[in-house]
Amino acid sequence: MWTYIVRRTLYNIPVFLAIVFILMLALRVNDPVSAQLGKNAGPEQIRLLTEEMGLDQPFIVQYGVFLKKLVTLDFSERSWDQGFPVSEMIFKAVPPSMAITIPTLTITATIAICVGLVSAFNRGKAVDRLLMFIAVIGMSISVLVYIILGQYFGAYVPSESIDGWPFEVAVDASAGESALFFFQPAHWVSFCMLPVIINCVVALGYDTRFYRAVMVEESAKDYIRTAKAKGASTQRVMFVHMLKNAMIPIITRIMISLPFVITGSILIEVFFGIPGMGRTLINAINSKDFPVIQTFTALFAALFIASNILTDVLYAMVDPRVRLS
Amino acid sequence: MLISRRVMTSGMALGLAVLCGFGSGAAAADKEDLKVMQLPIRTDGPKSLDPVEGSTTYDNMACAQFYETLMTNKYASPMEMEPLLLSEMPTTEDGGTTWHFTLKEGVYFHDNECFPGGKGRAITPDDVFYSIKRLADDEHKLENWWLLDGTILGFNEYKDAQNAAEEFDYDASVPGFRKINDREFEIVLTKPVYRFLYILGMFQTSVVSREAVEMYGKDFARNPVGTGPFILDTWVPKQSLTADRNPNYHEVFYPDRDQWSREDKRARLHRAAGKQVPFVDRVEFTMFIEDQPMWLEFNAGNLGYSQVPEDYFQEAFDRSSKELKEDYLRKGMRPHANKLLDFTFRGFNMEDELLGGYTTEKRALRRAISYAIDLDEINETFYSGRRIVYDGPIPPGLDGHPEDGYSEAAARGRNIAKAREMLAEAGYPDGEGLPPIRFYTSQNAINNAVAEMVKRQLDEVNIKFDPVFMDFSTLIEAINKKKAPMFGFAWSSDYPDGENNLALFYGPNEAPGSNHYNYKRPEYDALYEKVLTMGPSDERTAIYAQMRDMILDDCAYVGGMARERFYLVSPWLLNCKPTERYYGWFKYLDVDDSKRE
Repeated sequence: MWTYIVRRTLYNIPVFLAIVFILMLALRVNDPVSAQLGKNAGPEQIRLLTEEMGLDQPFIVQYGVFLKKLVTLDFSERSWDQGFPVSEMIFKAVPPSMAITIPTLTITATIAICVGLVSAFNRGKAVDRLLMFIAVIGMSISVLVYIILGQYFGAYVPSESIDGWPFEVAVDASAGESALFFFQPAHWVSFCMLPVIINCVVALGYDTRFYRAVMVEESAKDYIRTAKAKGASTQRVMFVHMLKNAMIPIITRIMISLPFVITGSILIEVFFGIPGMGRTLINAINSKDFPVIQTFTALFAALFIASNILTDVLYAMVDPRVRLS
Repeated sequence: MLISRRVMTSGMALGLAVLCGFGSGAAAADKEDLKVMQLPIRTDGPKSLDPVEGSTTYDNMACAQFYETLMTNKYASPMEMEPLLLSEMPTTEDGGTTWHFTLKEGVYFHDNECFPGGKGRAITPDDVFYSIKRLADDEHKLENWWLLDGTILGFNEYKDAQNAAEEFDYDASVPGFRKINDREFEIVLTKPVYRFLYILGMFQTSVVSREAVEMYGKDFARNPVGTGPFILDTWVPKQSLTADRNPNYHEVFYPDRDQWSREDKRARLHRAAGKQVPFVDRVEFTMFIEDQPMWLEFNAGNLGYSQVPEDYFQEAFDRSSKELKEDYLRKGMRPHANKLLDFTFRGFNMEDELLGGYTTEKRALRRAISYAIDLDEINETFYSGRRIVYDGPIPPGLDGHPEDGYSEAAARGRNIAKAREMLAEAGYPDGEGLPPIRFYTSQNAINNAVAEMVKRQLDEVNIKFDPVFMDFSTLIEAINKKKAPMFGFAWSSDYPDGENNLALFYGPNEAPGSNHYNYKRPEYDALYEKVLTMGPSDERTAIYAQMRDMILDDCAYVGGMARERFYLVSPWLLNCKPTERYYGWFKYLDVDDSKRE
């Protein structure tokens, strides 16, 4: 297995280098200097800032310098926009994102798999149709609509009429600098629970339909019929036989989502004021803050590659027929 | 399955109840007998807390809580200046070349570990000189050098010499800085420059502590040590900023009763007259990138005031009368309108092959475009008529602004007949042979729709309009590189003097400087250099008008418009008269917790 992991990692290095190359090239289509300087920028200021940003160097040199930093895990470069070291920004932004994404992923996967099972088991019946109708409605509405309505009817309106209503419209200044603020139960309920609910509602539509399709495919297979013929209970057929055999697509789906646990959810974080990775990244993009964009994107790319390799390893663990070779 | 569901539902409900109980308990425990005010910062807030690196409104808003300038705007009448770190207004005996300053007694830096024993020391003239010298240090990218470029005797030479040297020497002397004693000093200018006094009120010239700069190095931008009314507690960039009252704040009193207008007195803004500030123990700013959460938080009573976003204006105000609606009045909200010193326009690049130039034909083409555009229709359609349309670059309220906003030199639209006449004079009768006008503007919903309206308006005289939408930084870049033939842009005055806006057309300021139009007329430049040395007078106002009409006659832009910003103030926030002229006024605010819901 370790040989496989090492080999896959080596294969992915050119992919990673290409991602970073294309990203850096794409970023440099526009000059970030104007974005950083105010309305009174003069030629001398532009020259100074260009030099300070290292943008006067040939592109290949800039690429090499950034790669060196990645290889040595040197994330001490400061954000052009904020002046903070990028490593510090990552350290502070990951926990708030995880406070939203881990519960979202867990709840969504659990509910969607269960609903998918129920729906598949009752394929074509009223229950199945109703569940799929709700799923289609859920996935047809823009996440922005859920957020706007969620903030209004989930936080603002009830807080006007119900004393002690737990959900807040947005994170306030009390969050301060503590990276673990959002993991405290009271704060999590106030600031994260509503975003998690919205995230789950949005994700459930897609996931339920996906898991239903997987389960339907499994439910038509011979071993299910055999299990039923042998008198296995419905619960046993569903949760032992069917679920176990459907693990490969389930793992694929979950593993694809895993990097988002770190990267966060941009819109949710922006609207609810959650200082996570998504919000930090979108702010960096808006202000053309190359050190932050480059580092975050390289990190995301590395996460995706790692999760892909991990997925393959998990395949072999859940299905003995899969060989890592 | 039913059992599992029931168990799951009950479990979730129980968990929620427990957590909610925990939440309210924790919240109660957090409540202390402190006066805390919660305020919003619309958008993502400051990018630096170092005054010399700041340039935006939000840098200003944050820095003004921790640092102070020699002079500041008056809270009761923000267009006027008053001493802040000085005991009296600076004086001059030679017509404005040499200025004499006396520092106020008892002004101390914040207590901070950068000082011996952690105790802040009194400010001296050396601190003022040091803080101003930082503007010349290219380590700070000279972001605000333009403020004093060519103004102080020997300062430009000092800047060049120190930046060329291996190390920037802050102890090297500048001929224009003269220390008399520990409280008095003089600054000698190269020539009388009237705006110098305004510049000493701008946050970029705030007095900082050298000890803190040297101790924190690059991290000084997040460890502010000044003399301001508040001391930084936490700053989470783009998220929040909290600050506590400075217990050693020097004597600053709430404006006297006689400084307030009758209208202000009706709003009971005078009730704290004569009291030492600040009143609150803690201020908590939250940044809002999106308007909806800010607006909902304000409506829920969690914010002291809020700007009224365009999308929510009609929720709070009657569209035509601009009166606050009944339900907001019942909640005890107080409205406040601010006329901004704004100049929004559609500029022409005077070096562009098609639209630029000073010949009769080129001038006629620009005037044809201007005559064809109906700014009033844009104002009514997109801004509910809340913008002020006016001629010339000088915003309402300043010397040089034309009476009633109209100048005869302007090609004010809509005048289709004149537009056609000018088009013919330009050599494009009925628009024949005229290539499409490429218009660069920043991408947003309103700009897109406005561009569509302008396109329709210009279509009526057969001028083809080709808008190009881009993000704001790309727009600035295009303008700086003189690539935009026509562009949508805006300018907010740095200080309340028409000279600041007239500088936008001064030849040596051409792009990438603030003269984005690349307007160059020697007679205009000569007049500008003359008014720089003049204080307010009828003569100066007449020259302002002459310069204004020169620009209008050449038609270097189509416009302009000024915004009127509407604010709502919560009943629990006292003494609040929001202004965007300066941001040192948060110290005057007070809270009445009994009025919170």
